[in-house]
Amino acid sequence: MYAGTAVRNLRLVSGLVLMAFVTSHLANLTIGIHSLTAMEAWRATLMGPWRTGAGQLLLLGAACTHIALGLYAISARRSLAMSRTDVAQLVLGLLTPPLLLNHVVATYIAGQVTPEFDSTYGMMLAIYWSFAPGYAFQQLFVVVIVWVHGALGLYSWLVLKPLWRRIGGLVLPVLFAVPILALVGFAESGKEVLDKLANDPSWKTHITDNLGRIVKVTSQLDAFQTQVLVVYGSLMLLAIGVLAARMLRDRLKPVRISYDGGLSAQGRRGLSVLELSRLNDIPHAHVCSARGRCGTCRIHVDAGAQALSPRNDIEHATLARVHAGEGDRLACQARVLGAGVAVTRLLPAYADASAARLPQDWIADDRIAGGPAPGGEPAP
Amino acid sequence: MSRLLRALCVAALSLAATAPAPALAASGDQSVAEWSMGALAHTKARIEALAGDLAQAPGEFRKLSDQTRKSLMSGTGVRGFTYLLILLLVGSATEWLFWTYAYAPLRAILSASAQTPRQALRVGLRRLSLLGSGLMLFTVATIGASAAFSWPPGVQELVVAATLLLLIFRFAWVVVAIVVAPGRAQLRLVPVEPQTTRWLAALAMTVVSLLALGHFVPDLMERIAGARHAAGAFRFIAITAAALLLLIAAFAFFGRPRRSAGVLRAPAPRFPKSFVLALLVVAVYAIWLMNAAAAAIAAIAAVVIALQIGLRDLVFFFWQDKAAGEFDPVLPSIVLSAARFIVVLLGLGACAMALDTPLARLAESGSPLLRVGLRVLGVATLALLTNLVWITVRTAIDQRLSRIKPADAHEGPNENARLLTLLPLLRVSAAVILVVMLVLSSLWALGIEITPLLAGAGVIGLALGFGAQALVRDVIAGIFFLAEDAFRVGEYIESGANIKGAVERITLRTVALRHHNGPLHFVPYGALGTVRNTSRDWVIEKFNLPLPIDVDSEKIRKMVKKVGEDMMADPDIGPLILEPLKGKLYRIDPGVKIFRCKFRTAPGKQFDVRAQALKRIESALMAMKIGFADGTQTVLLPAPTAP
Repeated sequence: MYAGTAVRNLRLVSGLVLMAFVTSHLANLTIGIHSLTAMEAWRATLMGPWRTGAGQLLLLGAACTHIALGLYAISARRSLAMSRTDVAQLVLGLLTPPLLLNHVVATYIAGQVTPEFDSTYGMMLAIYWSFAPGYAFQQLFVVVIVWVHGALGLYSWLVLKPLWRRIGGLVLPVLFAVPILALVGFAESGKEVLDKLANDPSWKTHITDNLGRIVKVTSQLDAFQTQVLVVYGSLMLLAIGVLAARMLRDRLKPVRISYDGGLSAQGRRGLSVLELSRLNDIPHAHVCSARGRCGTCRIHVDAGAQALSPRNDIEHATLARVHAGEGDRLACQARVLGAGVAVTRLLPAYADASAARLPQDWIADDRIAGGPAPGGEPAP
Repeated sequence: MSRLLRALCVAALSLAATAPAPALAASGDQSVAEWSMGALAHTKARIEALAGDLAQAPGEFRKLSDQTRKSLMSGTGVRGFTYLLILLLVGSATEWLFWTYAYAPLRAILSASAQTPRQALRVGLRRLSLLGSGLMLFTVATIGASAAFSWPPGVQELVVAATLLLLIFRFAWVVVAIVVAPGRAQLRLVPVEPQTTRWLAALAMTVVSLLALGHFVPDLMERIAGARHAAGAFRFIAITAAALLLLIAAFAFFGRPRRSAGVLRAPAPRFPKSFVLALLVVAVYAIWLMNAAAAAIAAIAAVVIALQIGLRDLVFFFWQDKAAGEFDPVLPSIVLSAARFIVVLLGLGACAMALDTPLARLAESGSPLLRVGLRVLGVATLALLTNLVWITVRTAIDQRLSRIKPADAHEGPNENARLLTLLPLLRVSAAVILVVMLVLSSLWALGIEITPLLAGAGVIGLALGFGAQALVRDVIAGIFFLAEDAFRVGEYIESGANIKGAVERITLRTVALRHHNGPLHFVPYGALGTVRNTSRDWVIEKFNLPLPIDVDSEKIRKMVKKVGEDMMADPDIGPLILEPLKGKLYRIDPGVKIFRCKFRTAPGKQFDVRAQALKRIESALMAMKIGFADGTQTVLLPAPTAP
């Protein structure tokens, strides 16, 4: 369970800060389509703000917060019943820090250790394209991983907003264009760098000198990296361990709930209604994957309301937003703590993000008609 | 019929299997012994080559991985990888755009509950169209975008191969997810036990992956890196692993006998399918070991045979929700034979593709045996097609006939008598037409000129037509009589030629009329002329009742009416009467009052009803002490005057 609206919003804001940084970084790479010089020239504008003290603090804070809250979210899970988007988010999120660490160390920490090392684009590209191509693969992976993680998060947050209908047509192409253009820029500037290395001896000397400086501190940097990785790894294992322990502990306490249409689901005590639906292959709408934002998973509790966990602040806010009725709950937040729960799914399983943007349309449909069982309707 | 079909398929496929070795077929003068010695030597050489591949493979693999690392860890490698990522992103973007529209319909389809396997099939087809479109968009966008870059040499090939591999994996998964539907019992399209679906899906995916890898990777190794032995070893390992997995699958998924609850008697033992399937796998693997080129054909043949074995269960699975009583196996049978036919056709198409030679060019090639084989194949196809049409027509007619056939053979004609006449006629005509067409097109397919035959038939037909004008007139008149429903079997008719009788038999040219005295007339339709059908709808019967002049007409009328009402109430005779008996004074003759009585009955029943009416009227008259008019005229003579 998410601790509340504050945690959720903090994670969102930290994610947005990181996304803004990544976007400006990738935009800078995109300029590489034109030339390496233009890339360096725009660096001050695009990356400069992040290099100031406040920018650095904000970035570091956002990164640490986001990682910590992500690990916390894993440890707070009760089952592995997730949507595919969620699985992708989790795996990509876990992969990002170790893959990215190398790049951060090379560009930022190295500059701190040996102040005369200048981490220009030309320098980094020369390393990636000529001196240590292995790192290039890592960085290419990480660009895609970070961007997919961020874009998925941004998309699943924005798509629930009424605003999405106006900006959706604009945001979606941008979400795909940014990494594609950045990669094209990377490839083009890479070609330029290789060309320059071959034909411009003075530039090559500059690069090799620079490289010499960083090679000297390699052991120091490696030690630092190892420390960070060990800390991160143990935190990750801790989070996963908490999750596994919880799943093991609840394993022997089965509960059963029944749905409209004669369906029923069985699972561990303490799982949310939505998790039970997913574990038992019961069609159940959930657009925001159990973040309690969309309200599409809402149910009407027909019996056993006292056997469900009490409403938390997230649920209160969302239920109020979608004008839910008296006995309604969010299936993703209501955890089953006892027997005898019977619920009715209020939205058809194919409800999409529009159900979150325009809740009144979907309420009117099934509350007034009252006829076909939600989720059990035949396909049109 | 299905056994015949199966035999035909097998024959066709064995023909197809011999087709790839025209060299073998052409050397017809060699003896069988020589040929088999040659084959054995070939196999031995191939197995030795494989052993050599395996022995040299580790070294080549090491070299290959060094090469790969070296070429990857360079500007070229980075560039290729960057481009690959861009392609994947472009493909994903295109597919994402598709899914922004298609995801909600897909969810709707998935959340719909399919009550019957037939609904599940419909759902499966919809899923296939949606998932397949997304996949196609992804592939087209990826491969199309690859044209936009200037690739380092050899890399584009690699990337396109990787994209195709991805396409195969994803498509295989789409098919497995739709057909086996792991975790969604309602949407399953094959009869498998629910607890094995996840295993089955995993196994299918593994086998497909192994085969796809075994096809693409060695190809690339050979062409780009020139590592022939490594490629051979890779192929050998992949195919051996796939064969082993299939062997395990044959016993794991088809080995268990199906147990139906509540059946006490054990079913008669049948040849185990698992064993046949295992044999097929082993056979294909052995053929691959002997001759890689023939293995594709053998694999296709094996798949076709396996499908033919399992097709009955597969098809009838879609009607498994029907109870045994209401189950009408006509449609499944038609689907089954159509499916058998389509499987064979697809198999032949796949063989043609595997041979990588268009059939037309094969036909032009020199070997006469091959040409004959292809032609026989064509005839077999025609026979299959004809058989399919025949089964469809016959089962449709038979089904209709059995539905309208009167339960009791001795019952009178019912309203379906016309269909009872026409449908067998139609069946025979269809059979004749199909056979004639089959013979003619088979001759044509075998390369025998049928134009003179047709022309001759045309001339003879013309001559015969003039000669057999009467025959043609009879047949055509007969068709119209039947179409207009002039008479049916069992009806009593009178023709314009003053022949009457009950229709006993209707043939193409004549109708057989049984006269009520026994003789049977065979009347050609052309001579039938006006037909008077006395067996339609109703009959009015009238008879006279002469009574003495002094009876009270009103009393008689009431008496007759009373008799009529009594007869209506009679359980035996009442149902035959449509309008009850009535009588009224009709004429007064000297000394006689004539009453005319009338009633309406079902056709052919008037005689019984009349006899019954007369009997009842007679007893009523006797009870009233009224006799019939005696017919004697009373002549009153003037009394003689006394002289």
